[in-house]
Amino acid sequence: MNELDPIIHQPARLQIMSALCQLGARARVDFSYLKDNLGLTDGNLGAHLATLEARGYITLEKEFVARRPKTFVAVTPAGRLAFAGHVAALQSILQPR
Amino acid sequence: MNISPDEAAKALQEIETSREAMRRAIRTHRGHVYLWIWGGAWVAMSLVNWAYDQGALRANFWISGAGLVATLLIGYVQGRQIRSKVDRRFIGVCATLLMFGYFVWPLLLGDLRSYDFHSYKAAYAYFTVLWMQLYMVAGIWFANFWFWIGLAVTALTVATLLLLPALFWAVTLLLGLVLLGSGFYVRYGWR
Repeated sequence: MNELDPIIHQPARLQIMSALCQLGARARVDFSYLKDNLGLTDGNLGAHLATLEARGYITLEKEFVARRPKTFVAVTPAGRLAFAGHVAALQSILQPR
Repeated sequence: MNISPDEAAKALQEIETSREAMRRAIRTHRGHVYLWIWGGAWVAMSLVNWAYDQGALRANFWISGAGLVATLLIGYVQGRQIRSKVDRRFIGVCATLLMFGYFVWPLLLGDLRSYDFHSYKAAYAYFTVLWMQLYMVAGIWFANFWFWIGLAVTALTVATLLLLPALFWAVTLLLGLVLLGSGFYVRYGWR
C-alpha cells in the first residue's frame, strides 16, 4: 500500500519532482532552465532542492561550463520510486472503495 | 498524512501540468534539430550528386563538414540546459564502427578508389549505410526512433542501388526529405 510522502506533497516540490521524473534515467537539467520552466525564484527553487537532496530524492552537481559555475539537477532512483508511490497514493484516494 | 479526494485531484492535476511543461521543454531537446540538419545536408548532397555525379565529391565533403559543425554547435548549446551523462561505451561503439568503416575495411579490402565499387553511387551507398549503422546502434542503445530511421534508410538505399540504380539519386533525395519530415513530426507531432 503506497503512502503519501509529505516531503513530495508540498506544491513546489511536487512540481519539481514531476518535472524531473520526466527526464531520462541518465539526464540532468540545469538549475536555471528548471527554474524558468517551473516559474520559481532562485531562492525558492534552491530551498526546495536542498530539502529533496537531504532526503536523497535528487542529486545536485556543480560544474563549470564555459568558465561559469552551473548546477545540474537529477532525480535519483529512490526519488523516482518515492514519486511513483506518491502518485499511486493520490490515485488510490480518488478510487471508489 | 491524510488529504481529501479534492486535494488529491488537485495535486494530480498539478503533477500533470508540471509534466506537460517539462515534456514541452524536453521536446525541444529531442533529435529533431539533427534530423533537420542532416535531412537538409542529405537533400543538398543528393542534388549536387544528381547534377555532377562523381564531380560532386568535394561538395559532399563541404556539406558534411557544415553539418558536423552545426551538430557540434547545437549539441554544445543543448548540453548547457539538459544534458545526459556521456556514455563512453556508446561513444566507443560508434568510434569503432566508424574506424572500421573508414579505414580498416577499405584498407583490408582495397583502396576505396580502386576497389571495384562498380560506381560512385555504390561508394555513396557504402558511406550512407555506414552512418545508418550508427543510427541503428543509437536507436538500440537509447530505445528510440533512430533505430527505425537507420533500418529504413539502409534498406531503401541498398534496394535502390541493387534494383533501381537509375533512380538512386532521386531516392536519396527522397530519403533526405523523409529525414526533414521526420524532424517536423518529432518536433510538432510526437507526444
